[in-house]
Amino acid sequence: MPRGLSIYAEGNSALHRAHPFTKGTLTLVAIAIGFIAPSLAWVIAVAVILLGLLTLADVIRRFVPVALGILLPITLLLLIVQGFANPANRTVFFPLGPLSLYREGLAVALLAAARIFCLISATFLLSFTTRPADLAEAMMQRGLSPRFGYVVQSALQIIPQSLESAARIRDAQRARGLETEGSLLLRARAYLPLLLPLVLSSLVATQERAMALEVRGFGLSVHRYRRVVLPDTGVQRALRWFLVALVPLAIGARFAGWR
Amino acid sequence: MTAALTMRGVRYRYPDTTDYVLDGIDIVVQPGEWLGVVGATNAGKSTFCYAAMGLATEFFHGRLIGEIEVLGTEVRRQTVIERSTRVGMLFQNPFTQVSGARERVDDEVAFGPENHGLEPALVKARVAEALQQVGLSELRDRHPLDLSGGQLQRLALASLLAMHPELLLLDEPTSQLDPGGTKELFEALSRLHAAGVTIVMVEQKLEAVAELCDRVVALAQGRILADGTPARVFNDAAVQQQVGAPIYVRLAESVGLPSPWPTTFETAVRAFNA
Amino acid sequence: MGLLNAFKLRFSTLGIVLIPVCIAIDWVGHAIATSLKLPLFLDSIGTILGGILAGPWVGGIAGFITNLISSGTVDPVAAPYSVISLLLGFAAGIGGYLGWHKHPPGWVALWLLCFLVASLGSTPFNVALYAGQSTIPYSDALLAALLKAHVPMWIAAYADEASADLLDKAVTVLVAVLIYQGLPRRFRSLFRLYEPRDDEPETTPALSRS
Repeated sequence: MPRGLSIYAEGNSALHRAHPFTKGTLTLVAIAIGFIAPSLAWVIAVAVILLGLLTLADVIRRFVPVALGILLPITLLLLIVQGFANPANRTVFFPLGPLSLYREGLAVALLAAARIFCLISATFLLSFTTRPADLAEAMMQRGLSPRFGYVVQSALQIIPQSLESAARIRDAQRARGLETEGSLLLRARAYLPLLLPLVLSSLVATQERAMALEVRGFGLSVHRYRRVVLPDTGVQRALRWFLVALVPLAIGARFAGWR
Repeated sequence: MTAALTMRGVRYRYPDTTDYVLDGIDIVVQPGEWLGVVGATNAGKSTFCYAAMGLATEFFHGRLIGEIEVLGTEVRRQTVIERSTRVGMLFQNPFTQVSGARERVDDEVAFGPENHGLEPALVKARVAEALQQVGLSELRDRHPLDLSGGQLQRLALASLLAMHPELLLLDEPTSQLDPGGTKELFEALSRLHAAGVTIVMVEQKLEAVAELCDRVVALAQGRILADGTPARVFNDAAVQQQVGAPIYVRLAESVGLPSPWPTTFETAVRAFNA
Repeated sequence: MGLLNAFKLRFSTLGIVLIPVCIAIDWVGHAIATSLKLPLFLDSIGTILGGILAGPWVGGIAGFITNLISSGTVDPVAAPYSVISLLLGFAAGIGGYLGWHKHPPGWVALWLLCFLVASLGSTPFNVALYAGQSTIPYSDALLAALLKAHVPMWIAAYADEASADLLDKAVTVLVAVLIYQGLPRRFRSLFRLYEPRDDEPETTPALSRS
């Protein structure tokens, strides 16, 4: 059975139990403020809060290696390119002759990296503590058409299935002599033989799948009952409004010149 | 009593083709009947089911001449989705009938009733009942993709049964099943038949058709060759030539028994003992 | 029939079922490119194919959701760019509506449109997130050289992104079109949203007697 795509980590923290919309709002607001905030200090403050929440949700140990894996290469590239070539560069920080790195560029790079860190941690906070099915269910309970809930749920199953099929096709093609290593041209020639069989068969199957769905009433416009109970409280609703209100506040503060 | 399925002067062709796959079909299926549809490949058997379900017109957009009435309603007056509350259709391929959006067998069976807006308690009852009818109750918490082809076909049937259809259309339901799976599927269908569900079943396994069906219609080139009891239809020379017959027929014929030849195991035994 | 007609909301079950398949093609297309160590993303093949085959909404939604799922699982930074994938699907849908996928000159037009949407659309996000970088090392090297030569930042950032997208979108569009040509004609016609279909009954149905 293909491993699911979701990175949901089983748990019982406050965050796990919170309504998906509360967590979603938190994610979006944290990202927004991370990018609105004018200086590194503020962004780091947001990052620290997010790290705290990740610890509260008991997913910090899972988070760190994954986040570093994404963040480190990007940060390195930012430091090098901005340190070297940012238009605002004036003060040499790391003298290397013509390849010297400048303080202004490095500061820009650090700010960008910190903001991306907020983006990554806010997103993982949601992904680690929320089952995709629950998120889809929450959206359907607020009016998302069940047909679109279906699209997301089906995608989450079909992606790992297809990746597995692709791996099997690769093994089968290699056994038949397809070269997948060597020069760029050789590898490029392997692309279509690896992609095409999977794609054609899954596309043609959509016809039967669609018929089978219709025969089960898919898309019938009737009142549907809730499948899963997602507890929501007044406190959470108030919290969501509070979080949303922080965004215009942050914008205002930035325009007022806060640093 | 309204007929379960009526076709009057039905001719049908798929878009961008000139050959009529159904070329003059007149048939009335009464409620509670188990009709077997047999024929050579490309005789129009699957299209017959697609037409009755409404897929031929609504999904394939082919040209339909004549009238088809399903449970009293002309087929073009209702969408397939609306019809799904009373008519179910089982296709050949067990793998493409899985919704792909559910992670448990019982949730998968619940898909249909939920689409129909049934309340959770009723859905739960229907799911349990349907799983029991097809013999999948112990697998209710498994992931659908863990099931074998035969189990998946039974799952697809359960998914339809949970909607309590009055008419069940089956397009070669056992073609991808092993003998054990085939036996279980036919047993489930027999129970349904006993409960009064009308069944229209396209099948290649002629022995099973002769054994289980009240009535058989044999198609060739989109027309009805013969329509009647299994004994009558499988003793028709044209049918024997263009479609085939249960093996007992040829066996009896080759040992010199007089026609009409037996079409089922029991009648064959009696004929041989006589 | 104006271009706006291409955007009429027409979600048949077939279109809905196609979307997850296109999403999977986006993923697998990218996974194979990665496993073959090809210097291209190739993560929009499904999006483009969906647009050509079934219109802007199918392609656009497929692209959008591909990014969302990616950001929720392996690549959080993909989320802001989901708008670009949506627009890319729209672009492919427009190209499909205008029949560009049917002959090679049209393929070039489709490539250029997709390239422009991807490069122009991604650049503002690159500026907001990565100080103008595309995070592709070779392309960022180009950015560095241009900035050092006092090229204005937005132009340099665009050149950076465009250098990554030019070849990638060419191959993406080519593969998508080849897949389309490889599909059975009867299958492709199921998605024919714009041409009149052949389903007029020759006799009107009698009134139901129920």
